Amino acid sequence: MPVFVACFKWVVDEAYIRRTSAGELDLSSVGYKISDYDRNALEEAARLKESAGGSVVAVTVGIPEATKGVKDALSRGADQAIYAADPSFGTLEASGTATILAEVIRTRVGTYDLILCGEGSSDLYDQQVGIRLAALLGIPCISFVQKLDLEAGRVVAERRLEDGIERVAATLPAVVTLLPDINVPRIPGVKDTLSASRKPVVTIGREELGLPAEPRFRILSLSASRLERQCERFGSDEADLRRFAGALRQKGILR
Amino acid sequence: MDFRLTEEQELIRKNIREFAEKYVDPIAAEIDENSRHPAELFQKLAEGDWMGIPIPQEYGGAGADYLTHTLVVEELSRSCSSTGFTVSIHVGIACMLVNLFGTEEQKKTFLVPMARGEHLGAFVLTEPGAGTDVMAATTTAVADGNDFVINGTKTFTSNGPTGDTYMVFAWTDKAAGRKGLSAFIIPRGTVGMKAGEHFNKMGLRSSQTSEMVFKDCRVPKANLLGKEGNGLAMAMTGFDHGRVGIAAQSVGILQAALDESVRYGKERVQFGTPIARHQAISWMIADMATDLAAARYLTYAAACLKDLKQPFSKEASMAKLFAAEAAMKHTIKAVQIHGGYGYCKGAKVERLMRDAKITEIYEGTSEAQRMVISGNVLR
Repeated sequence: MPVFVACFKWVVDEAYIRRTSAGELDLSSVGYKISDYDRNALEEAARLKESAGGSVVAVTVGIPEATKGVKDALSRGADQAIYAADPSFGTLEASGTATILAEVIRTRVGTYDLILCGEGSSDLYDQQVGIRLAALLGIPCISFVQKLDLEAGRVVAERRLEDGIERVAATLPAVVTLLPDINVPRIPGVKDTLSASRKPVVTIGREELGLPAEPRFRILSLSASRLERQCERFGSDEADLRRFAGALRQKGILR
Repeated sequence: MDFRLTEEQELIRKNIREFAEKYVDPIAAEIDENSRHPAELFQKLAEGDWMGIPIPQEYGGAGADYLTHTLVVEELSRSCSSTGFTVSIHVGIACMLVNLFGTEEQKKTFLVPMARGEHLGAFVLTEPGAGTDVMAATTTAVADGNDFVINGTKTFTSNGPTGDTYMVFAWTDKAAGRKGLSAFIIPRGTVGMKAGEHFNKMGLRSSQTSEMVFKDCRVPKANLLGKEGNGLAMAMTGFDHGRVGIAAQSVGILQAALDESVRYGKERVQFGTPIARHQAISWMIADMATDLAAARYLTYAAACLKDLKQPFSKEASMAKLFAAEAAMKHTIKAVQIHGGYGYCKGAKVERLMRDAKITEIYEGTSEAQRMVISGNVLR
């Protein structure tokens, strides 16, 4: 029976981020959520299991407080979860995340058919983890996927690109990175959430991973973006139009 | 004491909020305007196991605790008070009464479809001449062979026109006083039971309310709920559970009033600054947020006592009294903050203010809550 691996990230829910009067981001009372497109990955894995049989393993790399995220993932149809947890995993860059995911999948999942990732995370949106993961595992990767089907021994996917839609196939095992259009993630019911707590979770500490590097990614500062708005009204007679052109020049819009 | 929800409760709350934003918010104004029962919404609620949360799984429920049910009523009411209330009375009173007092057979027949959300429950107690004064009821149930024959008229029955399973209270022995009232489970379609026209109400408009007329309505003795003569005690137990739900409904209304007031207060500019920067408005918002927190903690505390199997009657009344009066007081303020725009149809605060009023009236008026509370305190 096929084994589907859905990778997800537990990220700050942007709805809770506040901006301080000094223009900085206040993260002191934020909530967390499963990264938006990773919900699509979990949903697609659950749907594949529902149509093709098999099982879904949800895999995440995160801080030890992300246990709620693990339950959330398990309430969305995954059968078990593997959770690499360490306080330092909150600030990993894409290569670090992909390295850990690759090791976890290689050593703890073993045999798998399809790995599903969101196209990018809701916080950093590097769009690198899925592709790096495929490279580290030495298997094909299909990105920008908006539709996918499993056929005998291969995955057939529609990629939405800037200039059109490309239909490609890859032999299994493979990695796919998904666009949000691929499905509408379910809202777990009460029983789904309650049963999630009874599903198996394997937690792996940093010391159990053969990790090479110290974090290479450091946050130096975090500040809110600002959008300056100004409103000035002009009439339509000649003098006003001259003033209008002058104002545009002054702001460097016209040269 | 750590004032924290469990991870499961937090996730369930997040999920019902997402559900409410996706399925309830878009229709809330329409079902209010048209006084329409959204059957399609209740089918979706049933699919997500939201219609029987504290009922054991073997009887069709989700098998979670009462606090979880309370959180769900709150979040639904934040989007639509009628929807939150319909879930509240269905689960908190109708399902709970059968769960607490029903026989195994009654649970299999009536509770399972109710807790799955396939059948909607109703609580049929109030009469035209018997509101807070329950003992003034006149509906009778007379034993006749293997049946009881029920005659009388009930009113203000929530889910009356749309219900499937009715918990009906009638005198089996009027002379026995407080030990003379009994309760019956009567399924929709029973000959002699008829729901009247849906009342055209000020608020809570999509919740369907009607008279229920019983004319020689024959009910098998097997449908007697609990012991004969125990009806009043069961009704009071039902109210204890239901009042936690009404408190949660009021908290949901109050949260929505705060959400709207904060949003509008930051947007609306007068005298060159957003009105939320004017002390007159910011203090209203401070009072609203403070009463919301107090109402919420009273409500959760009552639900937690229920889950701990401790007495919670007084606490349920306190939560309901405080939350309902706070909801009324602050929805009026929320309309004030919105000014003329808040007085017009289309502003959510206008609906919130109309919906808030009923929380001070049904499942025991604020005056009745004060009777319960003082009775407990002065005992």
